[in-house]
Amino acid sequence: MPQSTPHPQIKLIETLLDTAGTVILGKEREIRLAVTCLLAGGHLLIEDLPGVGKTTLAHLLARLLGLQYSRIQFTSDLLPADVVGVSVYERGTESFRFHPGPVFAQLVLADEINRATPKAQSALLEAMEERQVTVDGETRLLPAPFFVIATQNPSYQVGTFPLPESQLDRFLMRIRLGYPATAQEKELLAGEDRRAMVLRQSAVLSATEIAALQTAVGRVHVAAPLIDYCHGILGFSRRCERFVHGLSPRAGVGLLRAAKAWALLDGRHFLIPEDIQAVLPACVIHRLIGNDGTGRLDHDEVSTLILTAVAVP
Amino acid sequence: MAKQNLLPIDEQPERYQTLALVMTVCAAYLPLARYLNWRVSAFVALMLMLRFAAVRWPAAAPGRWLLLGLTLVGVANCLLANHTLIGKLGGTSLLATMLALKLLELRARRDHRISAIALCFVVVVQFLFDQGIGLTLYFGGIAFMIVALLVDLNGGLGSTPIRRAVPVVLRISLQALPLTIVLFALFPRLTSPLWSLGVDQDRGTMGMSESMEPGSISELVINGDLAFRARFDQHPPGSDRLYWRGLVLWEVDNRKWSPGRVGQYQTVNPELTQATERIDYEIVLEPSQQRWMFSLDLPIEHPPNTVLSSDFQLLSDRPITTAKRYRLSSALEFRTAMPAEAEQRYALRLPANTSARMITLVKQWQLETDSDWALVQQGLDFFNREEFHYTLLPPKLGANPWDEFLFETRSGFCEHYAGSFAVLMRIAGLPSRVVLGYLGGEPNRIGGYHLIWQSDAHAWVEVMIAERGWVRVDPTSAVAPFRVDNRGASRLLGAYAPARFHIDSTGVLSMAIRQLRLLADSIDAVWQRSVLDYSAAEQTRLLYRLGLADYGEFALAGIMVAAVTIVMGLILFGLIRQPDAIDPASRCFSLLCRRLAAVGLERNAHEGPLDFAARVAVARPEFSLRVNAIVALYIRGRYMPNPTAADIQSLSRLVKAFVPTRQRRSFSDTKRRKYLT
Repeated sequence: MPQSTPHPQIKLIETLLDTAGTVILGKEREIRLAVTCLLAGGHLLIEDLPGVGKTTLAHLLARLLGLQYSRIQFTSDLLPADVVGVSVYERGTESFRFHPGPVFAQLVLADEINRATPKAQSALLEAMEERQVTVDGETRLLPAPFFVIATQNPSYQVGTFPLPESQLDRFLMRIRLGYPATAQEKELLAGEDRRAMVLRQSAVLSATEIAALQTAVGRVHVAAPLIDYCHGILGFSRRCERFVHGLSPRAGVGLLRAAKAWALLDGRHFLIPEDIQAVLPACVIHRLIGNDGTGRLDHDEVSTLILTAVAVP
Repeated sequence: MAKQNLLPIDEQPERYQTLALVMTVCAAYLPLARYLNWRVSAFVALMLMLRFAAVRWPAAAPGRWLLLGLTLVGVANCLLANHTLIGKLGGTSLLATMLALKLLELRARRDHRISAIALCFVVVVQFLFDQGIGLTLYFGGIAFMIVALLVDLNGGLGSTPIRRAVPVVLRISLQALPLTIVLFALFPRLTSPLWSLGVDQDRGTMGMSESMEPGSISELVINGDLAFRARFDQHPPGSDRLYWRGLVLWEVDNRKWSPGRVGQYQTVNPELTQATERIDYEIVLEPSQQRWMFSLDLPIEHPPNTVLSSDFQLLSDRPITTAKRYRLSSALEFRTAMPAEAEQRYALRLPANTSARMITLVKQWQLETDSDWALVQQGLDFFNREEFHYTLLPPKLGANPWDEFLFETRSGFCEHYAGSFAVLMRIAGLPSRVVLGYLGGEPNRIGGYHLIWQSDAHAWVEVMIAERGWVRVDPTSAVAPFRVDNRGASRLLGAYAPARFHIDSTGVLSMAIRQLRLLADSIDAVWQRSVLDYSAAEQTRLLYRLGLADYGEFALAGIMVAAVTIVMGLILFGLIRQPDAIDPASRCFSLLCRRLAAVGLERNAHEGPLDFAARVAVARPEFSLRVNAIVALYIRGRYMPNPTAADIQSLSRLVKAFVPTRQRRSFSDTKRRKYLT
């Protein structure tokens, strides 16, 4: 590996990843992707069946990153005010006072987001994009850093309101956890309660350190051939007949930013093609719609399709 | 002006682009001025001046209506000058006028591009007038400017147009070179040029004219043009033996000598009873629009598509409109067969103005001599003995030029001597004729050939002597050397004076100029032989060699299309295969990939360098150390900001030193391989 001076906080990130690996077993790559997503300043969508550890992962990250954490359980009767908060008339002061909703946290876990109605969904998604909330004509900034980790059940399950593409586009990555491998699952069954383990963890990073890392992500050098590579991927997704439409420019910007964060996690100040390839599946899968009528796409197949079609410059 | 502001920002021309375009147009027009009518040149010059003024003061640019008026004036001017708008001169005049007018409405970059492309036509058209190498090089420079300008107008030269112009244009030109060669070699040629298909009527004849009267050759001698080049297979004979035979003149009237009535006495089978000192040579004749060709006295074989008449004139089947190359053989020592009675009688006819003085003179010679040959000698003695002067500036002759020259003025050029001598011989009863041609020539040692200029034009006499046939007699050479006036000649001819005027050429400067001129002519001859002479005949020969002669131009066009396809395909393939071989790190990595591919480890196009290195390490662990080092350097050189030259150098060194070998397949290897895959 080429030698370069790693960012001072990288050591801490390594610790963070190692610790997370002891709690959530056999999901190192997914954890790494999740941290990459947060360092790139993006929001993360975890899609999987109930009970594979989505909430645990979100909770664990909040603990390890030392972020103020809140959780919103999305249900079909959830109202926007339940998310952003509400102004209540107070007799003592004879005025309205704003009671902030659970969205006013540094890390928001939006559990089962596709169970809520579109109206409630859009309240959160607006907050994600604008990083501010307007209630009763008054704009309130959300805390920084602001991460949303949303989980959703596969859309074929009963009682779901699938997120429209425009809203899916606001998530930088979508990952799946999947069932653990045999060895890890046995270890899990034999080991102690994960919830308790999460609560035992203490913060590894502070908010200022996260901010410094995010700045460092922006400074990662991208050589011209890699811009070409990225552009080639976008171009291919637009030409390929397997997809209804190709990747948006926002997807391209996100892909590059995620790749830069991945490179930084790897201790590099410059991008290499493998960084893009590593983050590509997670970054593009939720933004593409299959052309076969069902709209569904197989995660691995699509990544292979795109990665093998575009030559590395 | 308001209109100009509506242009998109990248369509607004820079001032320097306009200036460069107009100056290139001026440069391209300059050589054309020699051919265009002065009216057309004046109009074009006026428009160009107006254009320059408009660069300095934009308000001076004419509006739409004024431009329309100017266009009408321009077309009318062309009509007035050439009486036509088509044909070589008419069309060129119109094109030149229209381009000059187009320059007055240069608003957007688009106008510049159109003008630059139209300028290419102005350049190409000029090759109809002159195809010399000097002009070709000049137009090469102009083509360079046009290409650079077009690239710059399309934003291809960026912010430093002058610095980048040369490499960019050279690259573009090199890319076009294979296609140019294919089209040059295979594009079906017309056997006759377009402008001889009756489109153009202004075909002036050049060089020697068909008849000879006093003063006609001296006019020709002043002309500094080249007549032809000759290259000898053997050691060339001395200049005094190089009599280049052209026309044979039989008829004489009061003023001039002219050819015989064609067909009456001329048969196609000339006879030589003796022919020794045979010499083989090749001639490249400049276009003359005439049919006659030149051969060394006397030709014994003639090239195809020519006729050798009984008086040994070499005639082409059709007028010579382009430079003509032909090979032939001559005998320097010869004896012709005795001509037929009728032919002899024809060669004795006298002009009506034969004077008594001439007859008396000849009668006196006849009294003093006993043989025909002695009489000829007597005549030559006469020119030597009497006060005859050899000059390019002879006095004007009146109604009876032969008599006046012989007895009064006594100074003249070769046509005076030959013409009057032949008349004297005819009076004496010896059949005589005049031969027009060239004498000598300038040897070009650099090019290994002789240059025969129009100033080498000469006329001599052939007298029929019994038993010997036609004998060449050159009365001009009988003039006493001290009576040769070379001052007049050198004043008239300058550097082009023929060798027989003994120009003083000992000065260092004049020697150097002479050498330079010969060198330039050698280059010109090579250019002529290799490029200009390439014609339909060569293409036909190529088809014969390929066995496709029966299909003619269609085969040629087919081959051309195939060749163009192949060339374009190769270029395209190269472009696809090596999209950015410019990057040195990338080049090194490509080499590594090729070497590994040779031992069965091919990199997939979509495989990143680290992934590839990891795969190589699994397949061939013995390579992993070196491949990892190379890949680390490659990643540094290609993806890190500001790679150092030292990194690239060591990368290049490592890659060059790494030559992987194919794995020897032992049993355990095969097993391991199976396991790995």
